[in-house]
This record gives sequence, structure tokens and C-alpha cells, in this order.
Amino acid sequence: MPSIARLAALLGGLAFFASAMAADVDAQSYGYPLANPFEATIATTPPELRPELPADGDIRQSDYSVRLRPDREFELLDNFWPVTKLHYRLAQQNGRAPLIFIIAGTGAHYASGTTEYLKKLFYGAGFHVVQLSSPTSYDFMAAASRFATPGYSPDDADDLYRVMQAVRAQHPKLDVSEYLLTGYSLGALHAAFVSQLDETRRAFDFKRVLLLNPPVNLYTSITNLDKLVQTKVQGIDNSTNFYDLVLGKLTRYFNDKGYLDINDAMLYDFQQSKERLSDEQMAMLIGASFRFSSADIVFTSDLLNRRGLITPRDYRITESTSLTPFFQMALRCDFDCYIAEQLMPMWRARYDGGSLNQLIDKSSLYALEDYLRGSDKVSVMHNADDLILGQGDIGFLRRTFGDRLTLYPRGGHCGNLNYRVNADAMLEFFRG
Amino acid sequence: MVKHSTLIIALLLASGQTLAEGQVDADGFTNPLQNLQFNPGLDQQEFERASSDALQVYDPLESWNRRVYHFNYRFDQWVFLPVVDGYRYVTPDLVQTGVHNFFNNLGEIPTLANSVLQLKGQRAMNSTARLLFNTILGVGGIWDPATKMGLPRSSEDFGQTLGYYGVPAGPYLMLPLLGPSNLRDTGGLVADYGLENAVNYLDVADASRSNPGITALRIVDTRANTGFRYGQLNSPFEYEKIRYFYHESRKLKIAD
Repeated sequence: MPSIARLAALLGGLAFFASAMAADVDAQSYGYPLANPFEATIATTPPELRPELPADGDIRQSDYSVRLRPDREFELLDNFWPVTKLHYRLAQQNGRAPLIFIIAGTGAHYASGTTEYLKKLFYGAGFHVVQLSSPTSYDFMAAASRFATPGYSPDDADDLYRVMQAVRAQHPKLDVSEYLLTGYSLGALHAAFVSQLDETRRAFDFKRVLLLNPPVNLYTSITNLDKLVQTKVQGIDNSTNFYDLVLGKLTRYFNDKGYLDINDAMLYDFQQSKERLSDEQMAMLIGASFRFSSADIVFTSDLLNRRGLITPRDYRITESTSLTPFFQMALRCDFDCYIAEQLMPMWRARYDGGSLNQLIDKSSLYALEDYLRGSDKVSVMHNADDLILGQGDIGFLRRTFGDRLTLYPRGGHCGNLNYRVNADAMLEFFRG
Repeated sequence: MVKHSTLIIALLLASGQTLAEGQVDADGFTNPLQNLQFNPGLDQQEFERASSDALQVYDPLESWNRRVYHFNYRFDQWVFLPVVDGYRYVTPDLVQTGVHNFFNNLGEIPTLANSVLQLKGQRAMNSTARLLFNTILGVGGIWDPATKMGLPRSSEDFGQTLGYYGVPAGPYLMLPLLGPSNLRDTGGLVADYGLENAVNYLDVADASRSNPGITALRIVDTRANTGFRYGQLNSPFEYEKIRYFYHESRKLKIAD
């Protein structure tokens, strides 16, 4: 008995010690309603708990493009004409203001939902905002990436840094008081590397950098995501595949309701209905969406580097060529397969060898441990139930960031970014 | 020493137990994947199978469709969207909403007709009520009081009616300027257009013939209120993805 008491005391002490260091938000006072991390990841925050944002019509914004790799215009095949230049979105204030760069997550476009949300939030707070596609996205790989083989974070950050400089050069009249940086998911990892790069290149001298739900160990995150499509899902048989299953549920749900209306609030209602998805089904859905990102990366990287793994080397592609067979092939390759077949060989050839562990070390937050420990301007916000983390990752964040880590008890992966409490915390950090 | 080792063992046991119960790590991590049921071999091919099935949309005219997709993409970027932006810039919000409501109100005619054809009584009544309230109280449809009265807008077109009676979708078609469709829905489009001309509600169809500006305004209004942008999916396989989404969303609408 005494040993159990001692154990309890020890664990309690550990918990107390930990909470004294990082800013842990406890579940009750936090008030985020979704306790299920898969639901939170898919549905994000219920509309009534989101912050107030400026309307699209009130934002002075435009899409611009920069030509970073003029050679790509000749190298790229006909049907890639939309991505020979890198597009981005800039929202500008009247007059002098801080400028914040937002880096999108895995495979995401500069105008994807989360980036748009963050833009509105920061624009509403009086910042100029630049939205950038992820280095793992189709347009970035084609138009801005030097090696078009994303995954080695230092190189990805270097590409991003060039983009940011080009963006600034395109708007010499923009009155900027100081530079800020943020990113979510994989974009947060990139933001950390960009921030470190900036310490030596000094083009921006970022005043504050905020990492939102970054992967800690890139390989853990990738393994988790790859694994999500391996859940046991009930109701699949020879005649019904997984998508049919989900769409069938949606159809029955709408039939019960009597009318078709797809909106933000619908997802919560759906999860309350008898057609609701199980955790395994939601996991599979999340995993599937990441597999589509990996298919895009696999295909684009292979084609741009003429590796011949998916598209035969001298295959002629025009605007009318069907890409479906290549899509089908690329869908078979998950992140792990992409690393083994494309990233590792390229990285070994360019940087004189090394093992997978070394590659992971150099591409993960571990590589920046010393920098992050001593860098007061970089903070991180994360969730205790984030799907992309593994055991020990939060421990690493606690040790490295100390009180610059804010750990929320709920939210899944990025599901609470648009919760009012998180929005306030982000703004407070940047205004601070 | 002994005490220490028992403590360590106890700690290990405790951590084992807590893991099994889905408890929290010492550093606060709740490990959401621990409670999921996985296939033991982790070699399930369901994602590949389902995605492969999703690519099997009947598309015999694919190479033509792909050319039209690229044409639409360019037209959108170089003509359509700049015009829409100009329209938004010069027109006050209130006017834009009025224009949108007005054309939506005209759209109730095919919705009403197709609800009747599908024997959907409640929807037909909803549509009739909307038409009356919005035309009379909403001054020819410029305002939309019906939605505020709890009569939500829904749309039914002749393509849906055909689908309701079991007409298959037929080959996928990418229509110039109009975007994704299929043979059945293209036929439906023509029928609905004919219907609007025949009914000539509020004289708009007749007026449009002598004044093409009305048709142009309707097209711009439709584009301004369609959220989709080419390139938005940001994938080399956008064509395939649009094709699948169109196919499935029509199935949903027909089932509804």
C-alpha cells in the first residue's frame, strides 16, 4: 500500500512539475465541446463557438504570382500550365502594419480552408497577411521547389525562404512594421526551420513565430497517418467499398431529414444521428485524405524529376492525356513508400548518404532542439489528443519549449484552431 | 535499492495498465490511436480498392472532356473571374443580393415543375409558397422573405427527375463554360431552359431575348455565387476528383 501511495505522490509530482512548466489548459475551464479527437479533426469547432471574422468583402486581398523557376515553363508538360508560376494571396491593410506569413499544412493550397481562416483572423487583428502553399503541395513543388522532392525540412525551408523574399520584392510599397510567421501542421514544422534559417540570413528578422500543431518526429506522424487507413471498418464487403459506405450513410441521413443541406453545422448533427461514423470510420476518412496528398506528391515528384516510377520517362503528356492510370498507381504509394522510393535516394545522392534515422532526425523538430530551447520568440500550441503525435513527443515539447508550450486537452489535429479561446490566444501571442 | 526496483516495477505495471485502459501518458499525451481497432496484418487494401472504384466513372469522351476542362480553366482565369470581380467592385452588396434573389426566384419555376413530376408533394408546396411570398412580399423576388419564414430553398432540375425515374447518367461530359455534367443532366438542362422560356415568368424570358444584358447578368451572378475555382483542389488529378464529386453529388441529390 505505501508503495502505491508513493507512486501516486510521484505521478502527482510529475504532473505538477510538468504543469508548472508548460501552460496546460485543463479540460473543464477550456470548454471545447468535442472530446473525440477524430470528430474534432474532421468537424473542427461548432460554428457558434468560432471567433468573429471579417467578411470576404471587407478584406483588401488579391492573388499574385511569382516566377521562381523560369526553366519549369519549358520543362513542365502541357497540362501543367497553371503551375509554372507560384501563386499566393496577399491581404493588405491601409497603412503601416505587421506582416504575417502563413504556411499551409501537408499538401495544402494557400487558399485552403485553414489558411483562409487564419488569414481572416489575423487580418481582422490589423495585420497584412501572406498565405503560402505548403512545399508538399502540387503548385509549390512544380513552381518553386528546387528539387521537387519535399520531405527534407531544411531544403523545404530554404525553398520557402526564397518564396518569401520574392513575395516581399513584389510589393515594395507595402508598409511593414515587422515580420511575423506561423504555420499549422506540417507548415508549423516548416515555420520552425524557416525561423532558424532567418537567424543567419536575416532578411525578415521575425519578431514572433507560432507553431500550431507541428509534428515532432516527422516519421511518427507519417506512420500514424499511413496507419489510419488500416483500421477495421464494419460494413465493408465485396459490393460495398468504404466510400459507398460513407455516402450511403449521408444519403440515409438526408432522407431522414427531408432536405439536402451541406454546411458546417450539419457535421455535428450527422454525428448525433443514428448514421454516425465510428472512430474507425473517421480514422479511415482522415487517413484517406492524407493518402490523396501522398498520391499527389508521389506523382508530381516522380514526373518533375523524370524518375520513371509512375510515369514512364519519355511518356508524352498533353492536355487531353488521361492521367487516371498514373493516379491509380500513385494511390498505391503511401508516405512511407514515398520516402523509401523517392526522398531517401534523392537525399542520399545529394548529401552523401546517411540512414533513414539520420534523415528523420534532420527533418524533425529534434534538429532544432538547441535553437528552439534558446529562442524566446518561438512558441508552440498543441493538443494532448493530436493524432499525429507519438509517445514522448509532448515530453520533448515540454523540455524544449518550457512555458512557451500551450497544451490544450482537446482538439484532435488542428480541430480547435478555430475555437474562440485558441483564436484569442494566437492573437494575444502576436500582439504581445 | 529493493524499494527502488519495486517502485520501478510498480511504475511499469501502472503505465501498462493505464495504457490498456486508454489513459494518459505522464507527459499528458492521450494517444488517440491506442483505442482504434486495426487490422492485425496492417495490409488491408480497402483504401486502394475504394479509390480505384471511385475512378471508374463512365467517361468515353475523356480526351475531349479534358480539353474542355483546360479551356474552362483558362476562360475562368482570364475572362470570367475578372468580370465577376469587376461586377463585385462596382455593385453595392445590397444590389448583388437583390440580383441573386431575383434569379433564384425565377429558378423556383423548374424546381416546382420537377417536384411535381417526381410526385414530391411537400417540396412542391414549399416551392409554391416561396414563389408566392417572394414574388409578392419580396417585390418580384428581389428580397427573400420566404427563407426567413422557415421555407428553405431547395432545387430540383429535370436531370434529377430523369434520375429519379431511373434514367442512367450516361457518359460524363465537361460542358464548355458550364462545367461538369453528364448526358442525362445536359438533357435536363435543355428541358429546364425550354420550360422557363415557355412559362415566361415575370416576362423575363421575353425581355432577355431583346436584351441580352439580362442573360449576361444572370451568368455573372451564377458565377459570382459559385464557390468553385479551378486549381482550388490543387492536385494534378483535379479532373478525376471533380468527376467523382460531380457523379456522387448528383446521386445524393437524386436520392434526396
